[in-house]
Amino acid sequence: MLQFLRIAARNLITHQTRTLLIGGAVVAVTVILVFLLSFTAGIQNTILRNSTALASGHVNVAGFYKLSQTSSAPLVSGYKPILDLVKKNVPEAALFYTRIKGFGKVISDSHSVSLPMWGIDLKNEKDVIGHLQLAKKSTYIENYKTKEGESEVEGNLQDIEKPGNMAFFATHAKKLKVRVGDTVTISVPTTRNIYNTKDVRIAAVLADMGMMSSFTTFMNEHDMRELYQTPDDTTGQIMIMLKNPNDMPAVEERLRKVLTQAGHALMDKEEQPYWMKFDRVSGESWVGQRIDVTTWKDETAYTKWVMSLLGALTFVFTAVLLTIVVLGMVNTLWMAIRERTSEIGTLRAIGLQRRQVLIMFMLEALLLSVGSIVVGIGVGTLIVSLISAAHISVESEAFQMFVMSNVLEFKIDTGNLILTFSLVCFFLVLGSLFPSYRASKMKPVSAINHVN
Amino acid sequence: MNSIELNAVTKDYKLGKVVVPALKGVHMQVSSGEFTVIAGPSGSGKTTLLNLIGCMDTPTKGVVKVAGQETGKLKETELTDLRLHKIGFIFQSFNLISVLDVFDNVEFPLLLMKSLSKQERRERVLNYVEKVGLSGHLKHRPNELSGGQRQRVAIARALVTKPEIILADEPTANLDSKTGQTIIDLMKEINKTDQTTFLFSTHDHQIMEQARRVIRLQDGTVVS
Repeated sequence: MLQFLRIAARNLITHQTRTLLIGGAVVAVTVILVFLLSFTAGIQNTILRNSTALASGHVNVAGFYKLSQTSSAPLVSGYKPILDLVKKNVPEAALFYTRIKGFGKVISDSHSVSLPMWGIDLKNEKDVIGHLQLAKKSTYIENYKTKEGESEVEGNLQDIEKPGNMAFFATHAKKLKVRVGDTVTISVPTTRNIYNTKDVRIAAVLADMGMMSSFTTFMNEHDMRELYQTPDDTTGQIMIMLKNPNDMPAVEERLRKVLTQAGHALMDKEEQPYWMKFDRVSGESWVGQRIDVTTWKDETAYTKWVMSLLGALTFVFTAVLLTIVVLGMVNTLWMAIRERTSEIGTLRAIGLQRRQVLIMFMLEALLLSVGSIVVGIGVGTLIVSLISAAHISVESEAFQMFVMSNVLEFKIDTGNLILTFSLVCFFLVLGSLFPSYRASKMKPVSAINHVN
Repeated sequence: MNSIELNAVTKDYKLGKVVVPALKGVHMQVSSGEFTVIAGPSGSGKTTLLNLIGCMDTPTKGVVKVAGQETGKLKETELTDLRLHKIGFIFQSFNLISVLDVFDNVEFPLLLMKSLSKQERRERVLNYVEKVGLSGHLKHRPNELSGGQRQRVAIARALVTKPEIILADEPTANLDSKTGQTIIDLMKEINKTDQTTFLFSTHDHQIMEQARRVIRLQDGTVVS
């Protein structure tokens, strides 16, 4: 085998031009695949990070409460025993916290916007949203230019620990033409169809995080309770952050089981965020409380199109690129086999079995493939790392929606690198199979007399 | 004891719809340790005969026995094994592996045999390379050697497995007469010392005169 490897390596070196051409093509394809997969993983990572910071735990225990057949409120009534049950049954959790959900109008002096709202107790979830960054003033104040020595940002997210304060994202501040310190009026409809209002101060304007931040505002939990007149034993949802997000399916399944055993009525599993379930729940005939166990994937199901589109694009690109390199590899091997037909005949004459001829040529293809793919992965990883380090901002709103972020994010994932390696290697070796097989089938007597 | 035995061997080639007879009912025996030449003009069937004896082809009719085995009854893998263990080949164009050096070229058949240790292989290779007078060229690749030196490497490669039979198809055709004579002398010496059967084809009358036995072919039949 070692001698076959030596022959393969020396043949590759001898035919430098051909090796460099096909090797270069494999490197280029590998770089593109590394780029595409890192880009997809980056978006996936952004969705996970943003969704768990803005709208969901890894697993949530939420639900709807219906006073009458036609009304519905996204509430969990009597949540404390449920929280105790959840804590007892999820040892994988790193953090439990609760939020109150709401939906209403934010009204400034000149404009208003309707937005989903989260009533939060910041001290319980500093690890979750503590890393959110303040927006640069220039991103939401019209024609604003930072003066020398002045901070580019203003406000403090910590202030929403105090009632009467709220925080939202730069995109909202821009629409409402407000800044930190301004007062806005919150108007929300209650279950009795009465509108309650409250004036709150803008404590912080946060840097946009793509599409999801357009649907998120943070208020103090007490303010939300006051607006909705929510009693203390009621919350919007119990959110669970896991030490290892891979435990999510097992935890979800376990919670469904223990909650059912504890006598709670559960909603059917549905991959939708809570605000897309209102119409269906309102149309159902039951009244009272139903618990809904969801995951961050359910709560961000509306972003599925991005992943589907990226998946389809990656698939098409991969298929086209792999077809090109496989054809290149087949052609290269054909040329090598044609040039070395007489050598194949000689080797067969001196005792090389057909199987060994097959191995010899496949080894050559494998060596070329592995070498080129490793270089491609190295170059691809370097390029992706450099682009990532450059923090390239995404200006176009449409593209921001697509990448779920206002900066280009990539994630170099070992699993994806292994997948790239295996995929390209598998198809190249597969492509080399046919010419190698044909070479092994040559009759020594005709091969040896072949004239190039 | 016969190393090679052919009984009523016929070989036809099909060229489209035309059948071209290359050998017509050849009978022949070569005993162990013989130094035999197959002579004949171009197209007389010399190469076809060597190919059949060398198990690189099978006869259309008749029986070919090599080292006691009837080649027509053997499977492809068995024929390859027979070539590896019992037959050594020397070609007109040397047919060395261009990317391997002298040592590796000679060692290659031993690696395929898988029966010797690294040390045993090394000793055997060095022994035969010395025998053909190329000890000083172990690390040279074929393109760094003269025609005569290449043919010596080919002889060492053919001998290294200690085969019963060496088949050589016009081994001196690509060499000048002086180098050709040296190669024939070398083959004769090995035949004498190792008792290896040599069967080779040639046009060269000077070489024919040095053989102990000459089998003459004409139009696919043995004439003398």
